[in-house]
Amino acid sequence: MQKHLEYIWATLALLTLFAFLLGYLKLISTFFIAVLLGTTFIKGQLVIDYFMGLNSVAMRYRIIPTLWLGIVLTLIGVAYYLPLTASQ
Amino acid sequence: MSHSITVKEKYPPGDFAIWIIIYVELVTFGLLFLGYAFSRRADVALFNASQLLLDQTSGFINTLILITSSYFVVKAVKSITSMDDTDAKDANIKASRHLLFALALGVSFLLIKMFEFYHIFGAGITLSTNKFYMFYIMLTGFHFMHVMLGSFILFVMYKKTKEIGYGFGDYRGIETGASYWHMVDLLWIVLFPLVYIIR
Repeated sequence: MQKHLEYIWATLALLTLFAFLLGYLKLISTFFIAVLLGTTFIKGQLVIDYFMGLNSVAMRYRIIPTLWLGIVLTLIGVAYYLPLTASQ
Repeated sequence: MSHSITVKEKYPPGDFAIWIIIYVELVTFGLLFLGYAFSRRADVALFNASQLLLDQTSGFINTLILITSSYFVVKAVKSITSMDDTDAKDANIKASRHLLFALALGVSFLLIKMFEFYHIFGAGITLSTNKFYMFYIMLTGFHFMHVMLGSFILFVMYKKTKEIGYGFGDYRGIETGASYWHMVDLLWIVLFPLVYIIR
């Protein structure tokens, strides 16, 4: 289990580095925004499941933060894609 | 043929009241995140230009800090919840070490953020400078206060472990504090790409 936790941490750190590099190297495009939001969802879900420990709890409690994360990130995506599509 | 059945816990870890608080906080921050994202549509150029003044590197370091701090909090909770009635002292000592690391990281986050605020306010930027900075100061300032409270909670938990205060079966308190700290981490995981990266 301890090793498992280390893998979770390493995944979170790598995905954070990936997000930073996207910004640092100015690689942000319509495609990469979708990738960035997708990796942010994965990071959030890892925290919900393994740090908050909700993967071993009744679904009704786990689904609330998961839905929150999914809805917020989807709507952020909608907000960013609408003007980009309109201006292209 | 063997079957493995995973039995799910009926309730989330810690005091149930903290989960009500966590769900309310998530909704509050969620609305602020969406307020930022949809306000940006009205003036993309202004948001992109203002964002250039932010230090992405300190945002990145702060994300790593919170993730690592959360990791140590999980380890501290595991030390306490996996103890039996004969090794309470060892479990508390182990947990205190993990909590000290977590707390030091929490304080580091606050210091880096204070430096960032000093830089921003030093440049004459306030809540009324423009819409981007209004959201930036509000979102990160509100989150900063949560990290301050979370760090205080970590300190209280650390003190209790130093006094060998957690006994066998008594882990509701540490799970409650840990859940709050992970929420602070979860909020920053969304805030970092939204405010610092996406443009």
